[in-house]
Amino acid sequence: MDKFRQGLADLTKTLALMGAAFMVCLALRRYNTGTYASMIFILAVFLTARYTNGYLWGIGASCLGVLAVNYVFTYPYFAFNFTLTGYPVAVLCMLVVSVATSALTTQNKRQEAARIIAEKEKTRSNLLRAISHDLRTPLTGILGTATLLEEPGEMPEAVRRQLAREIREDAGWLIRMVENLLTITRIDGDAAAGIAKTAEPAEEVLASAAAKHRKRYETPEVRLRVPQELLMVPMDPVLIEQVITNLLENAAVHARGATRIELRLFREGDTAVVEVEDDGCGLSPAQLHNVFSGFAQNRYAEDADKRRGMGIGLSVCYTIIRAHGGSFSARNVPEGGAVFRFSLPLGEEETNSRA
Amino acid sequence: MSNAYTILLVEDDRSIVNFIRAALTNAGYRVLVARSGGEAGLMITSYRPDLILLDLGLPDMDGLDIIRQIRQKSQTPVIVVSARSREQEKVEALDLGADDYVTKPFGTEELLARVRTAIRHVVSRTTELEVARDGRFTTGALTVDFRKRRVYVEGEDAGLTKNEYNLVALLARYAGRVLTYDYLLKCIWGDESRGNNQILRVNMANIRRKIEKDPADPVYIFTEIGVGYRMADGTGDVPEKSAGISG
Repeated sequence: MDKFRQGLADLTKTLALMGAAFMVCLALRRYNTGTYASMIFILAVFLTARYTNGYLWGIGASCLGVLAVNYVFTYPYFAFNFTLTGYPVAVLCMLVVSVATSALTTQNKRQEAARIIAEKEKTRSNLLRAISHDLRTPLTGILGTATLLEEPGEMPEAVRRQLAREIREDAGWLIRMVENLLTITRIDGDAAAGIAKTAEPAEEVLASAAAKHRKRYETPEVRLRVPQELLMVPMDPVLIEQVITNLLENAAVHARGATRIELRLFREGDTAVVEVEDDGCGLSPAQLHNVFSGFAQNRYAEDADKRRGMGIGLSVCYTIIRAHGGSFSARNVPEGGAVFRFSLPLGEEETNSRA
Repeated sequence: MSNAYTILLVEDDRSIVNFIRAALTNAGYRVLVARSGGEAGLMITSYRPDLILLDLGLPDMDGLDIIRQIRQKSQTPVIVVSARSREQEKVEALDLGADDYVTKPFGTEELLARVRTAIRHVVSRTTELEVARDGRFTTGALTVDFRKRRVYVEGEDAGLTKNEYNLVALLARYAGRVLTYDYLLKCIWGDESRGNNQILRVNMANIRRKIEKDPADPVYIFTEIGVGYRMADGTGDVPEKSAGISG
C-alpha cells in the first residue's frame, strides 16, 4: 500500500515537472525558436531524478523529454524527426543526467537510512546498559536482605520490619522499572509510526497519573492545574501517563527539599504543554545538559553510584515524547526548583472548546 | 466459616497464589485455587463460588475464552487479573462480561477493595434494584436522583443536560465498576456511535466541570486510562440497604 502510494506520488512529481518544462518551453517559443528547450528539459529531468525514488522515473522523464523536444520544439514542429544531427547526443545527455542523479540520490537516501538505524541501535544499547545497571542495584539489596531474614536466630521486631520494608521498596522500584521497559517495547521500532495515537482528553491522563502517584508518595503534595478549555490531544494515553508518572516520581525522589509539585497543562499555539515543577534543589548544569542531549551519554559518569539515578525514567520520557513528535526539555526556576516540560502537537480538529 | 464468601482463584503461578490466598483468607474469605482453565471449569460447577478471580494468562486456555464459558452458565462476578499496558485485553474482558479488573502488580489493599465491591454487588444483586427502590444514589456530596432525573452536588442542582445526566446515572448504577468507553457510547448514543470516543469525552469533560470541585482532580468519576470510566463507590450504601430490607 505504502509502495503504491509512493509510486503515485513519484508519478505525480514526474508528470508535474515534465508538464512545467513543457509549459515553459511553449511560453518561450513565442520569442525564440526553441533553442532553450533541451536545456529546460534537462533541468526537469534532473529535478525528477533528484526528487523521486529509484531510477525508473528519471529515465522515464528523459525519454519523455527527448520525445517532447523532438516532436514539439525542434523543426519540423509537431512531427518526429529522428534524423536531426545531434539527436543521439541529446538522448544520451538526458539519460546520463537522469541515471547519475538517481544514483546519487539513492545513495544519499541509503546512507541516511543507515545512519538512522545506527543511531537507533546506539540509543538502544545505551538504554540497555543503563537498565542493567539500574536493575542490579535493587536486586542486590533484595538478595542481601532476604538472606539476612533467612538466617537463624532472633532478630528484633523493629529490624525485621525495617528489612521487610526495604525489600518491598526495592521490589516496588523494580516493578516500576519493568513497567518502563514494557512501555519502551510499545514504541515499536520506528518512532512516530510505531505508536497508536487516539485523541484523548489530556486532563484525564494528568488526573489519573496524579492519583496513582499520590498513592505512592504522600509528600511533596501534588497540585494540578488544567485550563477551562478541554484539550483533546492525539497520543497513546498509556505512554503519556507513564511520562507524567516518571516526571512526578523524579520530582518526589530527586528534588531535595521540595514541599510541593505542580503539574500543569496549558495550550501554547498548536501544542499542548505539560509541565512538572517542584520547589526543590533544582538541576545541576550537568543534569540539565543531559536532559537536552537526550540522556544518551555520560549519564552514569556523574552519578554512577547514586542509586535510582534519573536514568531510565527520563530516557523513557524522552523516547516517548519524541515518538509522539513532541519536544521535551528541562530548566531551573530562579526561585529554586526544576521544571520538566513536554509538548505534544495538537493536530487539526483535535481540540474542542467547552460546549 | 460456613457463611464466609467463597472465592475461586484461577492462577498458575505458585507465589502469586500464595500471596493472594493469604491476603484473602486473612480478610475472612474462603479461597479455592484452580491452576488451569480446565480445573477452573470443574470447580465452578462443583463449588459454585461467590466470586472468581481470574488471571488472563493461563497455560491451557485463553483467559477470554474462560470468561465466555463462565458467562454461558452463570452470572458469578469475575474479576480479571491482567498486566498493565494491555488495555485492549481489559476492554475485551469487560465487554465479555467480566465485572472488574485489577492490574498487575497490585497491592493487597487494592485487591481487597475490588473484591469487596464485587461481592457487595452480588449481595444486593446489583445496585439497580436498590436504586430503583430508593430512587437515589449518593457518594460524598454527590446525589443522583433517578426519579427526578437530576444530579445534586451539596444539595444544589448541577444542571446537567439530558445526555450528561444519562451518563452519570449509568455510571452511578454500576458505581465502583469500570464501564468501557464503547459500552457507555452504545448505551447513551446508540449502536452507531461506537468508536466515536470524542462525543463521550467531551460530555465527560463538561460533566466534570459541573460536578467536581476541581475538574482536574476528580473525586466522583475516575478515568481508567485506555479502558473507561468508573464512578466512586456509593457512600449511601448503608442507609439504602436498611431501607431496602425494611421496605
